[in-house]
Amino acid sequence: MAKINIAKAPVNSAVLPFYGIAALFFILLSILLLFQSGSLTGGYFNFHLLSIVHIAVLGWLTMIIFGAGYQLLPVICERNLFSEKLAFVSFLLLLTGVVLLAAGFWCTPSLGAVFPVWGLIGGGLIFLSSLLFVCNVAGTSKICDSYSIQKNFILTSAIWLCWTTLAGFLLAWNLRYPYISKDHLELLKLHAHMGLAGWFLQLIIGVSAKLIPMFLLGKSSKNNLLTKAYMLINAGMLLFLTDGYLNGVTDRAIIYLILLLAGIACWMLYLKDVYNNRIKRPLDITLRFTGLSFINLGLTIAALILIVLWRPPIRSQIIYGLLAILGWLSALVLGMTFKTLPFIVWNGHYKHLNGKGKIPLPKELYRQNLLQLQWWLYLLALYGLIAGLLLQLDLLIKASTLCLIGTSLSYGLNIVIILRHKTIFIHATTPEAPDR
Amino acid sequence: MPLLQKLQTDDPFFEQKTVALQRLYEVIDPELFVNIMDLGLVYGIEFTPAQKILVTMTLSTPHCPLGEAIQEGVKNKLLQEFPTYQVQTVIVWTPAWSLENVSDEGRKLLGMPPKG
Repeated sequence: MAKINIAKAPVNSAVLPFYGIAALFFILLSILLLFQSGSLTGGYFNFHLLSIVHIAVLGWLTMIIFGAGYQLLPVICERNLFSEKLAFVSFLLLLTGVVLLAAGFWCTPSLGAVFPVWGLIGGGLIFLSSLLFVCNVAGTSKICDSYSIQKNFILTSAIWLCWTTLAGFLLAWNLRYPYISKDHLELLKLHAHMGLAGWFLQLIIGVSAKLIPMFLLGKSSKNNLLTKAYMLINAGMLLFLTDGYLNGVTDRAIIYLILLLAGIACWMLYLKDVYNNRIKRPLDITLRFTGLSFINLGLTIAALILIVLWRPPIRSQIIYGLLAILGWLSALVLGMTFKTLPFIVWNGHYKHLNGKGKIPLPKELYRQNLLQLQWWLYLLALYGLIAGLLLQLDLLIKASTLCLIGTSLSYGLNIVIILRHKTIFIHATTPEAPDR
Repeated sequence: MPLLQKLQTDDPFFEQKTVALQRLYEVIDPELFVNIMDLGLVYGIEFTPAQKILVTMTLSTPHCPLGEAIQEGVKNKLLQEFPTYQVQTVIVWTPAWSLENVSDEGRKLLGMPPKG
């Protein structure tokens, strides 16, 4: 009986706007990708591509992770969210920041041109938004009684996000007012990996270690694997960044990559243990997206190893980025949205009506056929894009981006259906009381 | 053994408990789509002469976001049957819920093979 706290869900304004706007950014990025598909076959320091990449990692992925994070933090930390107001302010800052920054990149015609001031302001707002996210994570986890490695992963990832957005802001400043003597492109690598391995990877490990056992009804007592993963990943990251900043990215990156991979292996072993101890029932489509995300993570790592060891042509770096952002991270979000959002909305509409009469189930708040369509279009889009890039087939790349637009529209439509859901309730007839 | 079968016929609230437990078969876990009785989430039920019903139960995972909704379901369902009673739910974590708690019917609904 001791220490029981069924955490309260935060108010909808702290969560739902993130989901809605993230879906819009996903649609926007897929449309922009169609018109800029030629950029994919060029170098990665292309301002239009930078704009699309920032829409993807901030407007789409970080936006939705913030929303889901504010909903899940109370679950993970077993306490109410520290501040719902801060959550909403972080939403406004992130939204404005992404619009300004992405537009700033888009409007910068070439490397020699001046980056606009409002683009810089956008970068600053994104940094402020990430600071507010850290405050909420730290504030919520500070009042958390029990030690939890999942909590540490999430807090650490939020701190890495702050460093990433600060570094991004300083790099953008350097575009307008050059002051950094080091190679901008080398620093860009550090900035990108701070975001990928510091923010996204650790956030996903923290959340997955809590949610996947919940969804699969599986259990693992091997929490020490997560502790090892935490140590290895952060050691690898710190060494990579320090060495990379002081000496540039050298062959020593392989050592840091091995540390990182060992950490990922520990996390995978933990999840395998959960999977082996789950209720053995068919995986629904949302969990199929999760499974696909892990396959894409494997492909991303393989691409990274190839780049570190053999330094292949520039397009392999585009493939690496595509696998990480549109493969690993987007697949996870595309599935997990339907494991979180319908439940959040369902709780708001039906929590107090449960048991009183006939009500829909959370999975009935969205269209299963749209989700199926999303699954097939996404497969065509992602692997078509990879094949198109490998084979340098412009037509295949264009056709795949059309599939991506289809994916984003079917996803967006389902989000609208969920967010605009109206309560459906058929009152039960009260039975006659039995003789007592 | 299912809770219903554990009821003693000489229990002064035998009839009420039987009806109450039968009603709880209608409370569904919204994530698993299986009722909470077959999932083995309900550990006990007490009726007091002061017209109180106390349901001792657990959740499939600590701090489940749907925990409140499930508790509301229990209260609403029992209040339909016993409108003059006060219903209270108590969540306990020991003994922890495990797959062993799931009834044969529950296993069938979850698509699991039968026990043993």
